[in-house]
Amino acid sequence: MSIYDLILKRIREIQGKTEEEEPLTNISASSMLTAEITLISSILIALIMVRLINKALMIVLVIAVFFIALMITPIMPKLIREQNDSFNNMIFYIVLALGILIALFYWGNLNV
Amino acid sequence: MDPFIPIMVILPIASALFLNLLHKNDRTVKILAIVTALVLPIIPLLTGYGSHYFGGYAPLSQNSAIAQGLPSLITGTQLFIFHPAITYVFASAQKVMIFILGIVAFFAVFTALNETKKPSGVYAFLMFMGTASVIAILLSDDIFNLYVFFEIAALAQVGIVIASNVKHNYETALKYVILGNIAGPLLLLGIALLLGVTGNVNITDIIYSIKHGLVNPQNPVLLMALGLITFGWLYGSGLPPFHTIKSALYSKALPHGAALIQAFTVFMMVALGVIILRIFSYLPFSKMAIIAVSLLALVLSITMAIVQTDFKRILGYLALGELGYIGIGLGLGTTLGITAGLFQAVNEAIITAFLFIGFGTVLYKTRTSDTRKLGGMMFKNPRVALLVLLAGLAMAGVPPLNAFQSKLMLIQASLQAGVPELGIIMILLSIVTFMTFMKAFYTIYMRPKPPELVIHDYKIPKATIISLVAFLIICLILGLFPQIATSNLQTLASSLV
Repeated sequence: MSIYDLILKRIREIQGKTEEEEPLTNISASSMLTAEITLISSILIALIMVRLINKALMIVLVIAVFFIALMITPIMPKLIREQNDSFNNMIFYIVLALGILIALFYWGNLNV
Repeated sequence: MDPFIPIMVILPIASALFLNLLHKNDRTVKILAIVTALVLPIIPLLTGYGSHYFGGYAPLSQNSAIAQGLPSLITGTQLFIFHPAITYVFASAQKVMIFILGIVAFFAVFTALNETKKPSGVYAFLMFMGTASVIAILLSDDIFNLYVFFEIAALAQVGIVIASNVKHNYETALKYVILGNIAGPLLLLGIALLLGVTGNVNITDIIYSIKHGLVNPQNPVLLMALGLITFGWLYGSGLPPFHTIKSALYSKALPHGAALIQAFTVFMMVALGVIILRIFSYLPFSKMAIIAVSLLALVLSITMAIVQTDFKRILGYLALGELGYIGIGLGLGTTLGITAGLFQAVNEAIITAFLFIGFGTVLYKTRTSDTRKLGGMMFKNPRVALLVLLAGLAMAGVPPLNAFQSKLMLIQASLQAGVPELGIIMILLSIVTFMTFMKAFYTIYMRPKPPELVIHDYKIPKATIISLVAFLIICLILGLFPQIATSNLQTLASSLV
């Protein structure tokens, strides 16, 4: 099954879960594909900035993320599911962000 | 002290209170709201640069009459230069930002009064209270005073959404309030920790204490305060993880309300971002965090915008994605980067208001924002369609419109700072922004009208068309003569480096 077919299958799955009756259109498929490519390419380009910390780490991370992205593609349907208007999801990510932020600011500044 | 400095905040608050009292008197509400909205962008142009000390309590160093008889215990220490009063500072950057906020507020109020059959004093009250709060946030040099207005601005945004009468607006407003009840107190805790360590709430005095070794800059409590203030900044700005609720908030407001709320968000982001840079720029980690969060906002919001089917939600996510550009500019920490970030903020406030009000005409004529149900609007309103198209081109950064200049400056700044990757990502996401906009534009305006779509014969109010043309003129002026804004913003940027 090609990546395109895989993405279409996942969109259909999401539509099924959200009980949307609209057919899968060219616009929605191409939108999802664009989002997918944008997301992966942006992450890979952003990872190149790790070279400012350590070049070897950057190479390892870029290669690792590239292969992980290939394996778990399509990412966008999962991302959409996580970024819905569910209050539980919002609270979860807010608490997670607070934890990461405080940990990074506290230990990051003390130890960098 | 220029008396116009506090008037910038007092006037909209006083007007808001009167509008609330007179809410049943339609004609009075309309006249008072238009006059106040008209005056808002004019006051910053008439006000002289300087500081305003509430109660007249200037620092002792500036008050020779009192300072003369004081012992050296006071005159020889930092007490001599500290600010005892709540201080508002008005400089060239504040002038540009308050002027632009005033312009957006004017056209939002103007459109709201003309698009609704019965002008609402309560709605105008919320719009002016929010505007006054954000002006106070931009002016205040007192971090506690800033927090108070931060909360009022958040409540005003919730009020604007509740007053919109859009389906599920109460649910979204309630969620935003609950999330605010987590982020707001944590921001206040951050401010309290800052007060606990430095003994001060005046931002200039806090910076003095840190720079002159009165407090240990590596104090863990100070680092915790930075984390908590940054968390409050994420909430106020709608940056991840708050981007989902913020985009929902935009989509549940009426177009003129959303136009104003996004301007509040943009300027709250700038004000708090500048404060984080002013106080904590000695910690390299603070700039890295700003860039990381901004990149996340840019990528997540724009990729989410492409897959939406509600045009208000598409605009909401695109507006939040644009905040990423502002954040990257601030995070680069160079004069060019910060100037570009501030310029992008000014441009975004105008362009997003332009888009919300422009696409709002579709909602006005069809009562739906679902792009799957829309089409054929080009034949009904070709002139409005052209204006909306130009707004979309402005957001994508097409020359000669304003965002082209700020995005070009941002890319140049990233190259100068030695991080071309940021420039590449910004170009890539500008292209995707353009594609997202064109997708929405095509489905609403260019494809054939679906047979079941009902387009009402309501005539689009002239006030809406005037607003759109005025926004286009501002976009063109700032695009052709960017130095009008950048020369004023550069002073603030230089002071932060």
